[in-house]
Amino acid sequence: MPAAPTGVPLPGSFSPDRISGRWSRFSNLRGVRWRINLRIFPSSSASIDEIRRVAANARRSYASLRRQLLIDPHAPKDGNRSPDLAMDNPLSQNPESTWGRFFRNAELEKAVDQDLSRLYPQDDHYFHTYACQAMLRRILLVWCIRHPECGYKQGMHELLAPLIYVLHVDLNYLSQVRGLHEKYFNDEFDRSDCEVVSNRTLKKVRSWDCGSKFTNFVDDLDPDTRDVLLLSDPYGAEGELGIVLSEKFMEHDAYCMFDGLMNGADGVVAMNQFFYTIPSMGSSTGVPPVIEASSAIYHLLSIVDASLHSHLVELGVEPQYFALRWLRVLFGREFSLIDLLVIWDEMFLSLNDSCTANDEYEYRIMCSPRGAFILAMAVSMLLHVRSSLLATENATSCLKRLLNYPKKVSVEKIIEKARSCQILALEANMLGSSQTGLMMNSSSAVSRTGSQSPKSPIRLMSDSYWEEKWRVLHKEKVIQDGDLNNGGKISGLFETLRTEPYPSASKNINKKKEAHSIAKHSLFDDLSQNVESVSDEVQSISTCQGSPSLDENVRNCLSEFRGEECPRAENFSVLTINTGPNNEGNDPEIESEKSSLTSNSFIRENEDDNGNIDEECNKSYDPVSKKLESCANVESGQHLDAEMKVVTETKVRKSASSRFQWLWRIGNGSFHERKMEKGIIAGTQQPSIIGNEDVGHEKYVNSSSDYSWHGDSAKVEDGDKRMWGTLKKLGQSVLENVQVIESVLQQEPGKDGDILGGDGQSAAMVALKDLRKISIILSEISGRSHMSWSSFYKFMCCFSSFLSLRIIKESQSPA
Amino acid sequence: MVLVLALGDLHIPHRAPDLPAKFMSMLVPGKIHHILCTGNLCIKEIYDYLKGLCPDLHVTRGEYDEDVHYPETKTLTIGQFKLGLCHGHQVIPWGDLDSLAMLQRQLDVDILVTGHTHQFKAYKHEGGVVINPGSATGAFSSITYDVNPSFVLMDIDGLRVVVYVYELVDGEVKVDKIDFKKTAAPQPAP
Repeated sequence: MPAAPTGVPLPGSFSPDRISGRWSRFSNLRGVRWRINLRIFPSSSASIDEIRRVAANARRSYASLRRQLLIDPHAPKDGNRSPDLAMDNPLSQNPESTWGRFFRNAELEKAVDQDLSRLYPQDDHYFHTYACQAMLRRILLVWCIRHPECGYKQGMHELLAPLIYVLHVDLNYLSQVRGLHEKYFNDEFDRSDCEVVSNRTLKKVRSWDCGSKFTNFVDDLDPDTRDVLLLSDPYGAEGELGIVLSEKFMEHDAYCMFDGLMNGADGVVAMNQFFYTIPSMGSSTGVPPVIEASSAIYHLLSIVDASLHSHLVELGVEPQYFALRWLRVLFGREFSLIDLLVIWDEMFLSLNDSCTANDEYEYRIMCSPRGAFILAMAVSMLLHVRSSLLATENATSCLKRLLNYPKKVSVEKIIEKARSCQILALEANMLGSSQTGLMMNSSSAVSRTGSQSPKSPIRLMSDSYWEEKWRVLHKEKVIQDGDLNNGGKISGLFETLRTEPYPSASKNINKKKEAHSIAKHSLFDDLSQNVESVSDEVQSISTCQGSPSLDENVRNCLSEFRGEECPRAENFSVLTINTGPNNEGNDPEIESEKSSLTSNSFIRENEDDNGNIDEECNKSYDPVSKKLESCANVESGQHLDAEMKVVTETKVRKSASSRFQWLWRIGNGSFHERKMEKGIIAGTQQPSIIGNEDVGHEKYVNSSSDYSWHGDSAKVEDGDKRMWGTLKKLGQSVLENVQVIESVLQQEPGKDGDILGGDGQSAAMVALKDLRKISIILSEISGRSHMSWSSFYKFMCCFSSFLSLRIIKESQSPA
Repeated sequence: MVLVLALGDLHIPHRAPDLPAKFMSMLVPGKIHHILCTGNLCIKEIYDYLKGLCPDLHVTRGEYDEDVHYPETKTLTIGQFKLGLCHGHQVIPWGDLDSLAMLQRQLDVDILVTGHTHQFKAYKHEGGVVINPGSATGAFSSITYDVNPSFVLMDIDGLRVVVYVYELVDGEVKVDKIDFKKTAAPQPAP
């Protein structure tokens, strides 16, 4: 879990609590504190000497950089090398020439000056002094020359100005302390009016005992003052260069802080990224980091306050309109300087190290506590003006409010809120990636897991006669159809219908059968796990109409469903036809003819249906209708192919055809007021068949005989019978559930579109749950049992899934 | 660091069609702060072109200039230096240093820029500098043989002026540099 940005446990005498640990040292010296937080200075437990050394080194490097980069073209070149005038003249186009660099720097300087003149006009007593402006200019120039890929961008001066101000304040504090404890600060011997040594009083001599170190002398001071003294001692480590609080080196220190802030000190948040995009290390999404951060603000806002977020999104207020300014100058424009310092205190307290070990994050900026704090601050600012934002009706006034942030705000409250949001942000970032990953993977995972069990027995049986045949046929078919997914499946389906049960079929038939059985199995896999999703769907649809979050679930289920609809439809039809022919077992020729006829008629009718289905599918409830529509489209596409196949087919089972005709008629009669999907029709017809004819048992027996006739295995006959008993029970419970649902639906023909009546709804729910359970059972059974049974069980699954679909359709379409 | 361009005697379109390409590529707007043109442009188009290089353009009248309203001489102050500009056909004998020095004393300038001879010259003379930028196009001159295109860029920085001479010799731009330092003139007693 992400670490909350409490203070890192510090070695030594400081407690790990963020309040007391970090702030207890240098509590009055913001500049030093910030430099520690920005990782310029060693951690706050370091000794004063270390701090001085680091400061001195940083200053040296800045001085050399400045000397090198802020060139004077008149400066005599080193030694003997006479300048190559052809290159080094002022008009030279050569980019290497000193004059070229000079002119480039001059342009930079012009841009910098433009901004500097407009810096903090209300605080101009400090910022507009000549010395300060010159310092700012030099610092910015050196930094920009050092980072030519970034150049100078507007806003950098506003990041730099508070840093210099903070150093300036530190110096004021130093002079205050110096005034209070003068005798410690001033070495007596440095004064020009120093008296003769021999006149020193004894007391003073004793106080400067020869062996004692200076630090002992100042032991009687409080720790803060002692720190200040040691930091500004000209005789300490590194001498004058090491005086941490020094006016002479303010420019150097400010440059170090600015550099640290911009580079992020190997942390996550580097301000320079907000000003330009480094193409090499772009974010995973490829958008500029500042845009990404703006959207991260909205993301966090949606977690914290979804209504405000949705309101802003509705109005079309893009986050970067206002967030760009907020982020680029770290809220410098929204708050007064004093308030800003408090905010930056808090911000720099948060560490900049990445909390996520791996690369799974949604937003890069949220990976570190500091980044999370920045986002949280923005969100808390939004929440602060929440009421006025929610009251606006157009984007312009919203932006007006945000871009002219109210001046009289209680910064402490905002920071407090930001702290809590920060924790949320860090957690969300950690979970966010896993959650979205889960959501994205849910469909595939479910499909995978769902398909695991049924697939394995199929694979085990891959050597079976029919499987081989199908594979051959499948290849042929693939070549024929080109893209199986687009339209071939239902046509393949029809072929299966026609050719399935008879081993003595022609070569074509055999091949196709194989193809279909394999298709069937794959379809079955999908179907078995689709049942659950469909039931979920129905539940969510009927119980939570219009709830946006649940739409997600529904959509997920639907997308998953849609992805496998072709196989499903195919599957289902295959199943129905399987059971169909099983009942007959008569003359294959006649059957084939009849079934071909049926298929023809079926096709035609279905084409009509599909036309209607398409119409119907342009209904309000998009997900379901789309699903059905896509199923229907699939089917319509496949019908044409099927028609072609019909002609070539010789062996079709009459039973199949007759069964189908009967089914079709029944379907038309009872529930076919509205056009429905072919599969669903068949699905509804099944219970009616079973119910009306009460041939469930008969059917099962027939199928069992059929399969055994296929010669799969007589040895499982006993097991078969047992299975039949179980299956019968299952089938009956399925039937009952379906009947319940049907009755419910039939009761409510006149009801308003989407929602079933309360009682009926709950009953339907219960029935669906049962169906779902049955599907699970069937999957398990199929996983364990013989392939032939598994196919049959899968039939049950897909049947129930289609039934559920039909229920959805019913419930959605106006009666 | 004031950059002052001094050129003249282009004689466009009569004796030369245009500035040499290499010169044109070097003269880009934005770098130069002042242009002193000795004269004989001759047409308005050249004036406009030079104006585009730098808005602060000073031209004196040459004998072939079509615009009759340019002055004969001009003086201006840039930094610590006083500069004088004149075409030079008025100073007889043409190109004679003593006569030019007379003109310099007359105008009371530290740097005198004249032309007409189509030949680059830079003299240090009596505490002042006399510069002849030559002809920027290398136009024909009745008093000089083998005219090479040339012009002058002065870099005025405090009390020091660095004169860069750009000359097109055999198709290549040759640059030369001359340093002049102005001695602080003693203030006259009131």
